[in-house]
Amino acid sequence: MTWVARNRAGWLIPCAIVGALLTALPQRSRGADDPREWLQKMNHALTTRNYDGTFFHLSEGRVETMRIVHRVRSGRVSERLQSLDGSGREFVRDNDELTCYLPDQHTILVEPRPEHGPFLGSLPQFGADVNEFYRIESLPATHILGRAARVIAVNPKDQFRFGYRLWLDEKTAMPLKTQLCDSRGQVIEQIFFARLDMPESIPDSDLVPAVRTEGMRWVRQGPSHDTASPALSAYRASELPPGFRLTVAGAQTIGGASVPASHLVYSDGLATVSVFVEAQAADAPGAGARVTGTGADAGSSAPAEPPMQGLARVGSGFAFSTVVQGHQVTAVGEVPAQTVEFIAHSVKSSGGAELPHR
Amino acid sequence: MSEQIREQVSAFLDGELPNSETELLLKRLTRDGELRESFGRYALIGEAIRGTTRGLLTKGFAGRVNLAIDGELIPVNGQFSQSRGPRWWRPFAGAAVAAGVAAVAVVALQQRAVAPTLRAGAQVTAQVAAPAPSAASHEAISYTVPTTSPAAPAAIPRARLTNYVFAHSRYSSGLDLRGVMADLLIEAEEQQPAANEAAAHVAP
Repeated sequence: MTWVARNRAGWLIPCAIVGALLTALPQRSRGADDPREWLQKMNHALTTRNYDGTFFHLSEGRVETMRIVHRVRSGRVSERLQSLDGSGREFVRDNDELTCYLPDQHTILVEPRPEHGPFLGSLPQFGADVNEFYRIESLPATHILGRAARVIAVNPKDQFRFGYRLWLDEKTAMPLKTQLCDSRGQVIEQIFFARLDMPESIPDSDLVPAVRTEGMRWVRQGPSHDTASPALSAYRASELPPGFRLTVAGAQTIGGASVPASHLVYSDGLATVSVFVEAQAADAPGAGARVTGTGADAGSSAPAEPPMQGLARVGSGFAFSTVVQGHQVTAVGEVPAQTVEFIAHSVKSSGGAELPHR
Repeated sequence: MSEQIREQVSAFLDGELPNSETELLLKRLTRDGELRESFGRYALIGEAIRGTTRGLLTKGFAGRVNLAIDGELIPVNGQFSQSRGPRWWRPFAGAAVAAGVAAVAVVALQQRAVAPTLRAGAQVTAQVAAPAPSAASHEAISYTVPTTSPAAPAAIPRARLTNYVFAHSRYSSGLDLRGVMADLLIEAEEQQPAANEAAAHVAP
């Protein structure tokens, strides 16, 4: 090796190291501050950690106190969500089954829930489609519950979906506070923890419902192995708000009905809207039968009940029901009213087109 | 609400209440519905002051809420201080707080009660979200009684609505799941129709 070569090697190596560090450090810094990375950390924390917390649910100035217990033991997930001061309702999930105790309705709803996310929710993997309709950004860090917190905003880019602001614990990435916001940033609903413990273990007793079940009606509902009738299965939304697409189409028994409804799910990658298409028959879910229409599933001698028509508030989301070609069509989702209304109004029979099945 | 509890609520909402006192506050909130309502109002005011209701409230409004709260006790740098305003002003401060909260509630109700009539078939254009035009020049706050009547029949019977939401929650894979689940836990009386006109049943 010549002197020139040796000399060049002598300063090239330190330069390369410095260069590599300069390149790596900003990347590391970007990664540490990347809001998407924090959302992924939150997902991981919500699904893999044990936690027991009490939180406030605020919507339109009304406050409800709730307790959440989430346990992961040997791969088995148990979860309990309990209203502490209101209806006395409780949800208990034991791995692949969700039970909803509704003492005010003297009803217990049971539904299979395999491979489902935690009650506290998590974000799906962000794809390009999500980026198109939401803007994700970091907001100035703050303190909450005496802990340092990252603040991440998921802002909707139009009026067809809601956004979120999340205060994530700097140490654990658990969401200490979340806000549901409209496209103008107005807070619609918020959830924030008053207490959040992450114990190593959670006893079985913390996952047992406090509701007395004597005299309550057990109702099993869920995806049906039987397909909905061809007449119901042919229905779908003919037009959708930007970004929404059909992700699931199947049959679902609702409220213990003997005839499954068609259940369509539309999503923009983050927000979801369910559409239920039902025959207006005597054995439709709910009380009694409703007026029959012209659909193939219609027809009943049971006392008639007026078909549902209009908008109903569901917490922070909405449900909109209408009658299409003699079938009851109901869209439900944690989205603005106009989104459920838009989708429900666009539903019509496509004449037996093939649908993606779950 | 006693002064001590008011201080606790304020400190909690500011993230400054010690854990031991948080537990006590939590127990009180669980037992006391009136306190929960007050808590909700305080949280609403807090959001207004922090500006998260931007686009709906004027700068002047936020200022008035601030002033109104100053009429009570507010934490300053973690300490609670007495009102800075003159004593004669205090009775008006309470009214201003109530008015401020009412305005926020009314605005919220109006936002929620207006059932957009956008229908499929109309040209769909995604409106890019932008901050609402500044209303700083409109200092006066007008109040509107919400048109939603609590006596209006629900568009969808509540038990049936619960069934739909329960079935839907299976696919709420995103953050909206927590809201859906929490909403399901809330008393059914809350599930009110969004607007009178929307609540009408179709005649058979």
